[in-house]
This record gives sequence, C-alpha cells and structure tokens, in this order.
Amino acid sequence: MSPRARLLLFLVSAAVIGVYFTLSCRELPSFGGASHPYGERAVAAALAHRTANVVSSVNFDLRAFDTLGEESILFCTVLGATLLLRLARDERQHAAASEAVLPTTRLLGAVLLPVTVVVGVYIVAHGQLSPGGGFQGGVVLATALHLGYVAADYRVLERLRPLVVLDIADSLAAASFTAMGVAGLAAGGAFLKNVLPLGTFNKITSGGMVPLFNAAVGVEVASGVIVLLAHFLDQAVEVTGTGTQEEEA
Amino acid sequence: MTDATLLPLAVAIPLLGAPLLAVAGRVLPRTGCDVLATGAAAADVVCLALLWSHIQGVAVTPVGGWPAQIGIVLAADRVGAGLALLASCLVLAVLAYSWRYFDEPRGERAGLFPAMVLTFQAGMVGFALTGDLFNAFVFFELMGAAGYALTGYRIEDPRPLQGALTFGIVNSLAAYCSLLGIGLLYARTGQLNLAAMGRAMGEHRTDLLVVVSFVLVVTAMLVKAAVVPFHFWLPDAHAVAPTPVCMLLSGAMVELGAYGIGRVYWTVFSGPGGIPHDAFRHTFTALGVLTALVGAVMCWQQRHLKRMLAYSTVGHVGLFVVGIALLTPGGVAGAAVYVAAHGCAKAALFGLTGVLLDRYGSVDEHGLYGRARDLRLLGVLFVLGALALAGLPPFGTGLGKALGEAAAGHSQAWLPTVYVLTSALTGGALLRAALRIFWGAGPVPHSRPGEAETSGEGEEPEVREPGRALPPMMVAVPALLLALCALVGCLPAVARSLARGAAVFTDPAVYRAAVLGPAVAHRAVLPHVASAWTAEGLLLGGGSAAAAAAFAVLAVLRPVRLPLHRGVRALVTGLRRLHSGHLGDYVAWLALGVAALCAAFGAQT
Repeated sequence: MSPRARLLLFLVSAAVIGVYFTLSCRELPSFGGASHPYGERAVAAALAHRTANVVSSVNFDLRAFDTLGEESILFCTVLGATLLLRLARDERQHAAASEAVLPTTRLLGAVLLPVTVVVGVYIVAHGQLSPGGGFQGGVVLATALHLGYVAADYRVLERLRPLVVLDIADSLAAASFTAMGVAGLAAGGAFLKNVLPLGTFNKITSGGMVPLFNAAVGVEVASGVIVLLAHFLDQAVEVTGTGTQEEEA
Repeated sequence: MTDATLLPLAVAIPLLGAPLLAVAGRVLPRTGCDVLATGAAAADVVCLALLWSHIQGVAVTPVGGWPAQIGIVLAADRVGAGLALLASCLVLAVLAYSWRYFDEPRGERAGLFPAMVLTFQAGMVGFALTGDLFNAFVFFELMGAAGYALTGYRIEDPRPLQGALTFGIVNSLAAYCSLLGIGLLYARTGQLNLAAMGRAMGEHRTDLLVVVSFVLVVTAMLVKAAVVPFHFWLPDAHAVAPTPVCMLLSGAMVELGAYGIGRVYWTVFSGPGGIPHDAFRHTFTALGVLTALVGAVMCWQQRHLKRMLAYSTVGHVGLFVVGIALLTPGGVAGAAVYVAAHGCAKAALFGLTGVLLDRYGSVDEHGLYGRARDLRLLGVLFVLGALALAGLPPFGTGLGKALGEAAAGHSQAWLPTVYVLTSALTGGALLRAALRIFWGAGPVPHSRPGEAETSGEGEEPEVREPGRALPPMMVAVPALLLALCALVGCLPAVARSLARGAAVFTDPAVYRAAVLGPAVAHRAVLPHVASAWTAEGLLLGGGSAAAAAAFAVLAVLRPVRLPLHRGVRALVTGLRRLHSGHLGDYVAWLALGVAALCAAFGAQT
C-alpha cells in the first residue's frame, strides 16, 4: 500500500470506529448515578474481611487471581527482557565512565534516597489500610535506587543494585504468591483463599493474607522493575554494537 | 482429587515451575533444567487429564471462596478443559523436543527459555479455564507477553525481532480494544463474570452499546485467531520464531482465539439483549470462509516452509471459525475434534521442519530440492503429516473435518466445498514440498524472474554445533504427535466426549446454572451430537487427501503456469502484495476490520 492509501484507509476506519464508539457511550449509565452494583458488593465483602482499603481487598482478596495473572505478566516481562537484551555475539560490554556532578545534586540525591526508600516501604506495608500497596510501593522503591544514577552516575547505581540478588528475589516473590495461593487451597479448600486470622479493623495486621500478598508483590515489583531497567540501561550505557568485535577478537 | 483442587492447580503448577526454573537455572546444569521443566509440564498434563476425565457438564470452582458476583470463578467444560489439555500436551512435547535441540543461553540466563514456555502455558491454561471476562483478558495478556518474547528469541537476526515487534504491537492494539469493550460491558451489567453478565444483558434491549462492546471484545480474539483481515502478523511471526515456539503458537494459541469468540458469544451475547444468532452466524461464517480461502491460497504460494505452515494455520482457523459460527453443537463438536488433531499434526510438521533447519540451515522448498534424500524416515513422517492436514482418514483431522462438513452442510449446502478446498490446497502445498525435498521429484524448481519471493534461505540454525548426530527426540516427538493425531480419530471415546462437551458449550443455560446456582444444577436434556465416522465423511476425507496428492504431483511434475484467467492471476498477485510486512499496513487493516464489524453488526441488529 502506498503511504497515502494506508493513511486514508486508517483515517476512514478510525472515523467510523470513533462514531460508533461515541454513539455507544451515550447508552452508558449517566454520571453520578446512585447505582453502584459492584461497589456495594465489594465494600461489604472488604469490610467483612476487615480490610480498610477496599481497592487492596479487591486486588489481593476478592480478585486475587487477577493479580496473580498481572504479577505473572510483570515476571514474564522481566524474563523476556533478560532473554532479549542478552549480549549478542557481535556486542561487547564495557564499564561505564564516572561523571562529574554538581555537589548540590549529589547532596539532594543522598538525602532523597533514604527518604524515598522509607516512603516505598511505608506504602507497601500500609496497602491494606490506605491508598497504595505492593504495586505502587514497589515502583517507589525501584525509583529510589535510580536516584543514585540521577544524582551521581551509572557506577553508583551499579553498586546500589545487587542484580543477582534482585533477580532471585523477583523469582522467589513471584513463586511465593502462587505458593500462598496453594496454601489457601490446602488450608481452606479454595485457591488464594484468605485463611489467616483477619485481625482488628484498621490495624496494620488486619486483612488476613492481604498484607502478605502486598509484600510479595512489593518485593516482586521493586526487584522486577530494577532488573528490567538495568537491562535497558545497560544497553544504552555499557553495550556497544558491531565494529568493536574485530579489535577484541 | 476434586475439581476444586484440579482447576486452580492446572494454572498454579506452571506458575510455580517458571520462577523456580529461573532461579534453579543459575546453578543446575542443562539436564537438570530440562528435567525440572519437563517434570512441571508432565505434572500439568496429568492434572488436566484427570480434570478432563472428571468433568460432567461444567466443573466450577470459586477462587478464594468468593461467589461469581464478587470474585473470580473457574469454570471448565470438556471443550475448555480439552483445549487446556491440548496446550499442555504441546508444551510437554515442545520441552522434550528442545532437550538437545536448542541453543540456550548459558550462565545466569540458563533455564529462562523453559521458564518462559511454562509462563506461556499458564496463560493458555488460565484463559481456557476461567469463567470471568476480565480474568480471561489478564491471561490473554500473559499469553501475549510470553509469546512476543519467545518469538524474538534469536536476537542475532533482525528478522525475529521485527516479527516479534509486529506481533506485539498488533496484538496490544487489539487488547486495548478488548479492554474498552470490557469497560462498556461492565458499565452496562455491573458484572465481570461471564454467566452473570449474560444474565444481566437480558435486562436491556439490544442497542449500539451491545454491538460496539461485542465487536471490541472479540477484536483481540480475532487477532489472536488470525482471522482475515486481522491475520497479517501471524505469518511474519511464525516464519521467524524458533521452531519449538511455532509449535505452540500454531498448535494451541491461535485456536484459543477462536475458542474465546465462541465462549464469549455463548455465555454473554447469545440471549435476549445480546447479538442475534443470525447476525453472528452470517458475519462469522463469512469471515471464516474468507479466512480459509485466503489462508489456503497463500499457503499454496509459499516456498518458505514455515510461512507455508503458518498460512495453513490461517486456512484451518477459518474452518474452525466456520464451525463455531454455525451455532450448532455439531459445528462446535467438529471444530473441537479438528482443533485437537490439527494441533498435534501442525506441531509435528513444525518439528520436522526444525530438523531440516538443523541439518541444512534452510527451510526453503527450492533450495532444499533433493537434499534430504537420506532422511527417508523423516520424509515419510512429513508426508503423513501433510496427508493428516489434508484430512486423510483415520487421522483426527479427517474426523473433525468430516463432522464439521456434516454440520456445515446442514446450514449451507456449499460450505463443505470450502472445507475440502482448504484441506486439499494446504495439504497439497506441503506434499509438494515433501516430494521435492525428500525425493527430489520433478525438475529443479526455479523462481520466475521479477517475482518477489520470501525464500527461506539463509535462516540461522537454532543450534551451532556442526556435524553432530540428529537428536532422537527431534524425530520421536513429531512421530508421537502424529500418532496422537491418529488416536483422536481412531478412539471413538475422545470424539464422543468432545461432542458431549460441545452440547454443553452451546447451552448457556447449563453454564449459567453451574456457575450461578441453583445448587442443584438443572438437568437439561442435552441433544445427542454425532461424533462417529460416516461413509460420507470417509469419502470426503479420502477425496481431499487424493486431491492434495494430485495437486502436489501436478505441481512437481509440470511446474508450468496453470492456464488461469488473467483476472484470477491478478487477484492472487494482489493478495500477495497485501502481505507487505509493513506494520502500518497491518494496523490500518486492523482498524478497517473493527470498523467493518461495527457496521456489519450495527446493520443487522
């Protein structure tokens, strides 16, 4: 197809889809109505399991099976990136150079890094009580480490992230989610069943299994995102392509 | 063990196996990884086989103990569980096939390939067993994520990365459409469970929201199933993916797309307030026939063996879609038997092609002319596989085709012709290649000047170890798969039980009662669905195989241009040109397909 024909075909089709979609949205329930069918059922179920953050309850209790699938997608993505971003036969890896940074930037990084780690751990640990949880806190934790790169250089980041440990932690956290699900099956007769004592409402130990699932996902997301970014950053910073192979070979 | 254990375990086993392999791969030697991976896959096959033999009607398990209104419910009938079993059998076959075959990265990346395959399996099994629309979407994405990465596995070559990128982008775009559709449906019904959604649909009349949400939800499945015009990514991805991955993509993943269309239609849209049966039947029969013909014609045109096999998958998926579109238990029974047998035969053929790639570093029909004369056993297996694809009795493909033809003939008298033509052309193309490669039959083929061809020369072998002996598993696995394909046709119990599953599959009341209660499922009188060979079926199967052989022999002995009408020739050339490999083109076709489906269903409701 010529670029013109392609564009025309796409624009006409997109316009038709747009018209149909817009018209169908007019049939949606109107905004701000009083009927919230799933909301009512989910809030009741979350309160019954003494989980103050209903979103976490949906994610890690009511529909934990979805979350198992989603964290598996992340795990799979990390595996895929590890596999695809391996060194090809014609690529060489060399150490990154150290770079000059303003002392104030360095200071800011040194102050922010521990603060961000604490915030991340807080968000993961309080997922059953307040907005947040394993996914969000995990990303904050991963970001914290990368402050090392932003405020110093790539060599600092490499010293901050023990990739082998993180890689293994990522796998073990993914496995532990499934394993806890099987434990629910063994103890309560249903896969991913919330079998632990539910605790006191609005206390950090409440929600039964929810904090445990939160922690597993938090570890997995934090280590997974770091490993994922590490492969991409390595490609950008340390890996060179063809051309260098003759001199080294 | 009970359903409550077996259903979730079928998903949990590969999900446990994959991370353990990723960790263990760092310390275990290659053999240890292979044993661990094969063990996990075998355990899952046992689990699903137990489940399959247990099921009466629909096996239902609430995950986490929550009912369908709040949580996620796993629900499997014989068709869904059968597909999961097929996918798991193929995963086991693939892992065994790759024991000695595959160059895996060493060191910390050892064990990642089997781990990815297990994750892929978890996606396929979860999608086949779930009874929840959003959960189905999640597992669909898991399948996709693993599929994209596995397709791009050979990073030294830019072509696999290109193929994986096309695969990933087209499929992700379609997934966004599905997510939009799920959102619309959720807003309408307040439910995500398929059965509960279907029940709530009856509270409204059919309006544009139903039409658009249906089209959007099935878009992702149409893309996975490679239905024309959503199919362009498939040959590009299959031609470049490692052979063991092709066995999974063509044998099970593509078929799951077709299964998803049937499942979602029957459970959600088949009742009042949904999509009228006639609208679904007409539109999807047309799509299926178009897909079958395009796949068959394109398959005949190829000389790159993997592309040939990929287009034959497109052709056969068209037939599966026709079977589902008939909206009769007979049609679904035919499609189910056909899918089971096709998966085995197609995986076997990809496996045999992998041997050629390993021995000669090429998958080109012309380039390999006469070079595999000393691999006669392989040639015989290849011919058997091609004949199985053509529908030769007693292979299961023949039985599935016969059942499908009988069901289709009731609806439209001309539909069986499409079955015969598609099987004959796809089987014929493979027979033609086998005759040339293994027997050196006919004159040396040469390409016509000025014709754009994807040759299949210069492919990278998947192992760099020149001069080694052929690993026995690489022949044993395809042979076993072909035997399995024959078993599906010869053991009446398999087809009978799939036919009973098809009767359940096409009865939304049974599904709804099983998932939503009442506690005592109502005992519906299920119709008897034919599942045995008939004289007519044997005749049509034999006829297709004979036609395939005739096509192949004619093409090999007299490689002259057929006296086709100039218009037909122009049409075929135009069709080939459309498969341009340009990602932008594919996205434009995807948009056109969605728009056309919106218009078609909008006009019919």
